[in-house]
Amino acid sequence: MMKENQMIYVNNLRKDFKSYSSRSGLKGAFRDLFTRNYKILSAVDGISFNVKPGEMVGYIGENGAGKSTSIKMLTGILTPTSGEVIVNGMNPHKEREEFVRTIGVVFGQRSQLWWDIAVQESFRLLKKVYRVSDEDYASHMEHVIDTLDIAPLLDKPVRKLSLGQRMRCELAAALIHNPPLLFLDEPTIGLDVLVKNKIRTFLKEINERYNTTILLTTHDLQDIEALCERVVMLDQGKVIYDGSINDLRARWMEGKEIHFQFKREVEKDELTKLSNGITVDWQPGKRKDLWIGHVEDNDEVISDIIARVVNELKIIDVNIKSITTEEIVRNIYEEGAVRE
Amino acid sequence: MFYVSMFGQYIGQYIKTRLQYRTDLVVEFLSDLMFQAVNLIFILVVFGHTQLLAGWNREEIIFIYGFFLVPYALFSSFFNIWDFNDRYIVKGEMDRILTRPIHSLFQVILERMELESLFGAITGIAIMFYAGAQLDLSLSWYDPLLFIVMVIGGALVYGGIFVMLASIGFWADAKTAIMPMMYNIGNYGRYPVDIYNGVIRFILTWILPFAFVGVYPSAYFLGREEWYGYAFLTPIVGIVFFMLAIFVWNTGVKRYRGAGN
Repeated sequence: MMKENQMIYVNNLRKDFKSYSSRSGLKGAFRDLFTRNYKILSAVDGISFNVKPGEMVGYIGENGAGKSTSIKMLTGILTPTSGEVIVNGMNPHKEREEFVRTIGVVFGQRSQLWWDIAVQESFRLLKKVYRVSDEDYASHMEHVIDTLDIAPLLDKPVRKLSLGQRMRCELAAALIHNPPLLFLDEPTIGLDVLVKNKIRTFLKEINERYNTTILLTTHDLQDIEALCERVVMLDQGKVIYDGSINDLRARWMEGKEIHFQFKREVEKDELTKLSNGITVDWQPGKRKDLWIGHVEDNDEVISDIIARVVNELKIIDVNIKSITTEEIVRNIYEEGAVRE
Repeated sequence: MFYVSMFGQYIGQYIKTRLQYRTDLVVEFLSDLMFQAVNLIFILVVFGHTQLLAGWNREEIIFIYGFFLVPYALFSSFFNIWDFNDRYIVKGEMDRILTRPIHSLFQVILERMELESLFGAITGIAIMFYAGAQLDLSLSWYDPLLFIVMVIGGALVYGGIFVMLASIGFWADAKTAIMPMMYNIGNYGRYPVDIYNGVIRFILTWILPFAFVGVYPSAYFLGREEWYGYAFLTPIVGIVFFMLAIFVWNTGVKRYRGAGN
C-alpha cells in the first residue's frame, strides 16, 4: 500500500502523556517538591491504519480508548510522540496552517460558530478565514444550506438556536471550504431521531457528491451502521478491529436470543433439562421469571426450544431477537479482543 | 496582506457583536468615559503634591504617566490574554483555534480584543498635552511619527512579556496568579527609573523591560538628552521581545496537550 494514495496514512502512531502521582501527607508534599513520581501513560499506543479517498470510516472505542487523542493528532492539534502520520499528503502538525485548510472538523461539544452573532455572519467570517471565493461559496453553500434546511436560521444568533439547529449549522460551517476530508467527533450527540436522520442523509449525500472522505467518531452505533462500511475500533490505545462492519457482525451474530417471561420463578436446572440435546446457553434475566436463551440462528432449533419450553412451563411472553451491533461491541470490550 | 484583512474582518465582527447589545454599549461607553475622567483627575491630584523626584519635576512625571497610558491602552485592547490558561487550555478552546488556518496567537489576540480600552489612549494624550503645555514643549513635524513608533514599541514590550507568561500554560497548569503580579510590576514603568536602585533599574531595562513603555520613550519628548540612547532603543527592544515571545509561544503550541488529559 502506497502512502501517497491514502487520504490518511497512520503508521505506528504513539502519544505518551507524562503524569505524576502525588504522595500522601505533608511530608509527601515536601518530597514532591524535589522528586516527583512520573508515570508515562500511552494514550495512543502504536496504532496503524489507512483510509482511502472517499471512504467513510467509523472510529469507535470507549471513553479513554484513545479516540480523541488520535483524532487530535490527525487534525494537527497534538504533536505525536512518535510514529508517522500523513493526512492528505501532509504532516498535520508540521504544516498545520496549510493542512487545516484541507480539512473540516466538527467537535460535537465545541462550537465553531460565534455565539453572539448571526449564523450567516459566522459563515461570512469563516469564508474569509478559509479564503473561499464568492463563486465557490455561492455554488457550494447554497446546496449545503438547502440540504440541511438551515436557510431560516441564518439570521439568528447562535445562542438562540436549539442543539439540533446548531449542530446543522456547525456541519455547514465545517464545509464552507468544501474540504476533501471531514472529521466528525460525536456529531449526533444529544440529538433527536429526526435530526439524526437528517444529518446522516446529508453526510451520505456529501460523500457521494464530492467524494468527501469522512472519519466519524460516535457512541451511537446506528450512525455507523447507517453510514460506514468500515470500522476501526480502539481499546486502550490500540486498534483491536479494523474491517468491514458486516464481517464484524457475521463473526458475532451467529446466534439469536430468545427472551422468555414465565408465569412463575424458574430455576436453571429445569431449563437445561428441557433443552437436553440442544445447545442453548441459558442466561438469567433481571428477575427470576425472566430467562434468555442464546441459540444458533436456525429456525428448527428455535422452534424446537420454544415448543419444548411452552409444553412444560406457563409463559407470559416470548421474544426472538437478533443481537445488535451495540451488543456485539459491548461483548468485544468485555472480552478485550476481537475473536478471529 | 491576508492578516491585515483578517484583522479588519475581526474588528468588524467585534463591533457587530457589541451592537447586538445596544444598551450595554451605551452604558459601557459612558462608564469608560467616566472612568477615564476620574483617572485623569486622580493623577493630577496625586501628582499635585510631588515637586521634584530624582531630578524630574512634577510636569515631567505627569508627562511620563500620560505617555505610559497610550501603549498601555494599546496593550489592553489587543493582548487581553491574562486568562489564556483557563479560557483556552483548561477549557480546550485551543483545539478549535488549532483547526483554523491562521497563526494561533493571532487568532487568540483577535478573539480577545477589547477595543474599549483604547479610550485610555485619549486620557494619556490629554495628560501629555496638559503637561507639555506647562513645560512649554515644542512639537516638530516628525514627533507624531516618532510617537507612533515609540508607542508601538512600548505596546510590543508589554505584549511580549504577557504572551510569554501566557505560554507558561503550555508547560504547566500554572495558576493565573502570576498575571496580577506582573500588572503591578508593569506599573513601575510609569515612574522615572533613576528613583529605583540599580538592580531594579537593570531588571526594568533588560529583564522585564517595562521602562521602555514609559520613562525611556518619554525622555525623548521631554528633551532629556542623557536618555536618548535608551529612548531610541524602544522599538528595537519591543520587536526583540515580541519575537522572543512568538518563539516561546510556538514552542509551547508543540507541547500543547489538549484538554481533559
